[in-house]
Amino acid sequence: MKISRRELLKTTALCGIASAFPGCGRLADDFLGEGIPETCIPSSDSEISPGFHLLCRAGFGPRPGDLERLQALGNEAWVEAQLAPESINDTACELRAERFESLQFSPGDAYEFRKPVLRDELTRHALLRAVYSRRQLLEVMVEFWTDHLNIDLEKGDCVYLKPSDDREVVRKHALGNFHDMIRASATSPAMLVYLDGKANKVRRNSKDRPNENYARELMELHTMGVHNGYTQQDVVEAARCLSGWTFDPKRTFALNQNESFFRPEWHDDGPKVVLGETIASGGGPADLDALVRIVCSHPSTAHFIATKLCRHFVSQTPPAPLVERVSAEFSRTTGDIKSLLRVILKSEEFYASRGQLLKRPFKFMVSALRATAANTEAKNDILEPLHRMGHGLFQYPTPDGYPETELPWMGTLLWRWNFALALAGNRQPGAQVQFPELLKALGGKGKSPSPAIWFAHCIGRAPSLSETEALALLPSAMGAQNSHKGAEPGEILGLILASPAFQRC
Amino acid sequence: MLTTPSNLASNRAPLSQLAFDARGSSRGRVAEKHTLVCVFLRGGADTLNMWVPFAEEAYYKQRPSLAIPRPGSTTNSAIQLTEHYALHPAMRPLEAAFKEGRLGAVQAVGTDNTSGSHFECQDQMEHGDSAEGVQAGGGWLGRFLRVRDKERSPLSAVAIGTALPESLRGAPSVSVIERIGDIALRAPKGDPEAITAALSALYGADITLLGEYGRETLSLFRRVSELQATPYSPESGASYGKDKFSSGLSEIARLIKARVGLEVACLDLGGWDTHFFQGTAEGSQAQRIKALAEGLAAFDADLMEHRSSYTVMVTTEFGRRVYENASLGTDHGRGFTFAALGNKVRGGRVLGAWPFNVMDENNPLEPGGIMPETDFRNLFAEVLRGTHALTDAETAQIFPNLALSRVGLMG
Repeated sequence: MKISRRELLKTTALCGIASAFPGCGRLADDFLGEGIPETCIPSSDSEISPGFHLLCRAGFGPRPGDLERLQALGNEAWVEAQLAPESINDTACELRAERFESLQFSPGDAYEFRKPVLRDELTRHALLRAVYSRRQLLEVMVEFWTDHLNIDLEKGDCVYLKPSDDREVVRKHALGNFHDMIRASATSPAMLVYLDGKANKVRRNSKDRPNENYARELMELHTMGVHNGYTQQDVVEAARCLSGWTFDPKRTFALNQNESFFRPEWHDDGPKVVLGETIASGGGPADLDALVRIVCSHPSTAHFIATKLCRHFVSQTPPAPLVERVSAEFSRTTGDIKSLLRVILKSEEFYASRGQLLKRPFKFMVSALRATAANTEAKNDILEPLHRMGHGLFQYPTPDGYPETELPWMGTLLWRWNFALALAGNRQPGAQVQFPELLKALGGKGKSPSPAIWFAHCIGRAPSLSETEALALLPSAMGAQNSHKGAEPGEILGLILASPAFQRC
Repeated sequence: MLTTPSNLASNRAPLSQLAFDARGSSRGRVAEKHTLVCVFLRGGADTLNMWVPFAEEAYYKQRPSLAIPRPGSTTNSAIQLTEHYALHPAMRPLEAAFKEGRLGAVQAVGTDNTSGSHFECQDQMEHGDSAEGVQAGGGWLGRFLRVRDKERSPLSAVAIGTALPESLRGAPSVSVIERIGDIALRAPKGDPEAITAALSALYGADITLLGEYGRETLSLFRRVSELQATPYSPESGASYGKDKFSSGLSEIARLIKARVGLEVACLDLGGWDTHFFQGTAEGSQAQRIKALAEGLAAFDADLMEHRSSYTVMVTTEFGRRVYENASLGTDHGRGFTFAALGNKVRGGRVLGAWPFNVMDENNPLEPGGIMPETDFRNLFAEVLRGTHALTDAETAQIFPNLALSRVGLMG
């Protein structure tokens, strides 16, 4: 989506007004549904409720009031609404997240900004959207595809080019068509730089050899998966198809200075054979379209993407029948992402997997900010713990993206605990928990919520016997039971956010 | 310097009542252990421009723009080591160690993996597996630590960084840290002891892997509080750079001196995937080489008084093609040069042949470059034999299905 400068100024001005007058901000909160409701009644079931589960997996966990809204709508209707993000009013989030000017520019024009500004705005935008957007499934898919088509800001000029990649590749196609997303990614200036495609040239009558980097990752990571039916020769042939596509921000007077473009004199125009299919000579830039069609239509791609989505939404060891159904849907719909998500989110397997996935640090942090309805502007101080936990946004160096598996994240508990305790103690710079409203919503007038209520609010179920015993070890838990004096809600909340149950979803 | 063990035990008395797995509790002084420091150059390092085969005509023919000039040919040419090999000029800080016979290398080391995939080759190497046959399970260092599970210190394995490296997967205990001073639990107002006790109870009751790591993390607090008391000053005039790699090495040096029973330390140096404008004596790769060489030289100097206590090995997932591509970089290849530093290394030599056939460069089935003649597992096994006196039987447990053969790098 492109926002005109006039609209941008309007948004920025509105935002400025909202923050300049606290009363007005409060009004906006209530009006736009960002505030904390008068009462929240967490589930007292011993198992995580299906609605809570849906909000945790197809979103970044509930904010106070989300569960009640979902229950009023019904799970299926909620999923359908999330699959049509444009139908959801997201003004409150846009006021916060759309003010970053550097994110609105074309790849070439982004060079007007300084690197720290670009890095800062792109990162803050991603965190603010995840925390505040009501289009939660879209944000979950944005995170998913950002890893799938990973680009490290620190390589080459990527920091200038990732904002447009985020906009035109990831966000534009996150709930769209997979083939279209891969086609867009292949000529995205950021990807051309990150995986060296911009230097992939085979000039006539030269000894040039194609640069294979992108061609290999296209097959290995973006579409088919390693060992799933391509050879080294296929990588070379794909690299030949791609030769000539480049990006050059220094072409000041060219019409397409701002975008990637095709240089015929760098293109190997001979015939190619990719995965057994012949691409006739003389195809020029159309070779790329043929290549994308061939690799995306390969059965390995349907299976690879289905498996990865099922891992993300259901289980580290996804049930084979579900993967098969999603894979078949991929082939049937030629890669329609919404259709794939519908199959997954409506499946029995999805609901049977409650509480079995480990949250990665980003999800852990965002879900904690959402559960506590913490106020944040996502400035550097709140992003720092994310770096500690090895999950700095757009900072993963290699093209495979941050791991989806659990083990690499197990070493992060120390930092998770410290973030949980700092946030709940209102000592985390850059985030403020609105305790008075939260206490009122959960405990009722003049009453502090019990540890069990806090637990159910954050985890979606009642604490088990051993969890109840552990909570009782805190002196402030005793205080909460006896009177408000001595009660330290931050301590109880911090412990719950640091508990094993909150690390999972 | 250190809090006395009895002191520490009494401070933690309330916790011990909630004792979970007592495996990690080592109250007594741990005997000095030999530490293996594993440096992984992520991205497939072009070792041909680090250990320069200057006597090979093919090297200069295939790299008209990228080759490092022959020793003595210009002001910034390669540093001659032997009749065949020279060092990249940025490796100069390590020249002395080579001449002293404490730094050695082996040419044409590699995996049997022909996928050309960073991730697959790194995984295979860290798991210590062959591409063929049954995988042994876990990482090679993880298996090593399991095999030698005697009088284990809780700080036996440390990874510098934020993620557990695959090589340590399956180890009895691993601490993933960026720096020693980081490790503390900052409880909100109230009783930090109570929060710790409650976390112990919560993670103690969790039977999954998460519970296990929670318990490890809690014991890490206790283990490391000992070391936090004093600020660190390197010895022998060693000066560490400010980069992550150097600061990671200084933390490892500190743990070695503190004799906490450190047996394996892993750290990475990234940025070696030089498809594009890698440079020669100067440029992007030279910057990485400089970081590597200066970091290791500072580490070696800092530990002057502890030289029998450590061995450093430097590996990467694969080498690169001998030829340069049209964007003045090099693409993925196969064999690479492995290096090791320490008193137990029979250094001052570059072992291994030059198995290069220009026809391999155009092999349509697999990446070209120099072919791996030495299975990396034989070198890893040899390093462990040298550093930890590993027996053949133990080696067979760590590397099943490996036809053992001596390379000759370790004394």
